Amino acid sequence: MVATLAAEPTRAPRHESITRPTTPAGERRHHVLAGARAMAPWLVGVVPFGLVIGVSAAQADIPTLAGWLTGPLIFGGSAQIATIQLLDGGAAPAVAIAAGLAVNLRLVLYSATMARRWQGMPRWWQAVAAALLIDPSLAVGVDGYERAATPRQAHLHYMGGAVALLAAWMAAITVGATLGTALPEALHLELVIPLFLIGEVVPRLTSRATNWAVGVAVALGVIGTWVPLHLGALLAIGGGLVAALVTDRAETADAAGAGGTER
Amino acid sequence: MSAWIVIVAVGAGSYLFRISMLVLASRVGLPPVIERAARHAVPVSFAALAASALTEHLADAGAALAPAIAVAVAVVAVRRTGSPHAALAAGLPTLWVLSAVLPA
Repeated sequence: MVATLAAEPTRAPRHESITRPTTPAGERRHHVLAGARAMAPWLVGVVPFGLVIGVSAAQADIPTLAGWLTGPLIFGGSAQIATIQLLDGGAAPAVAIAAGLAVNLRLVLYSATMARRWQGMPRWWQAVAAALLIDPSLAVGVDGYERAATPRQAHLHYMGGAVALLAAWMAAITVGATLGTALPEALHLELVIPLFLIGEVVPRLTSRATNWAVGVAVALGVIGTWVPLHLGALLAIGGGLVAALVTDRAETADAAGAGGTER
Repeated sequence: MSAWIVIVAVGAGSYLFRISMLVLASRVGLPPVIERAARHAVPVSFAALAASALTEHLADAGAALAPAIAVAVAVVAVRRTGSPHAALAAGLPTLWVLSAVLPA
């Protein structure tokens, strides 16, 4: 499985390895905890977001328990916010469902990213792992698959990070929904997640196709904020992927042409 | 009642999205175009989400200079160190300082 990762865009080497020989039980715990630790920086941004969603769920004109259930059921902050806001605003159920699903449509792509890595794992494991798949768990998971010595270590790393994320997310939503909260605006915690996403993108800008794709995605992401129903980010992802595929194809054709000329 | 239906429907649909390619890959294999697209999923999705969130924030906040400089500092920090964590370590303090000293 690690060998298949050669197809991923090359990333800058990290300073730390997640591999360390220990006893089997200790090794398992080591990799699970390593995944949880890798998730910790994400939680700085995720927890305030969860608190805000909890407060929104409690204040919206829907049952608080229903709002709280968006956490385990939808498990995606932007889709949860979109759904709660539209329900609170009295939108038709079909519109709220369409908007929530549109925001989460990128999960199909995340599923494709993990599909080869999770092949051969038991179905129950894949079912649980898929339920926890979202931006931070994808980032921590992919990082683990790129650096782990064996697939098994990477699976444990993914689960450690994803379960830590779920626990923190549900705790934050619960606190927000039951106690309410006021976070100091001066901390600008709303920018933690965008900054973290930037941190995950920059090291991956290692090929012409990725550079073009990211450029198009950023441009469309900016323009797309004026698109209704939170569809802008989805259009930006689609546009970026089309740019990547077109550039990939052009590079392949160039390489084939160069090969033909050499002969 | 409709709130419950909407939330369960979005949750069920989201789970189907999450598991869709796992099922497809185990039954018939992933189409090559999906395989190629998936290689770019992380940078493209995260770039789109970051750009979208930052633009919405700038539109709401009105003061664009401090966040824009903080983002530039974050990009340079990650480029120089190769560590994703550098974006937060450099970008957030920059934002705090600039927000405090620059006029709103």
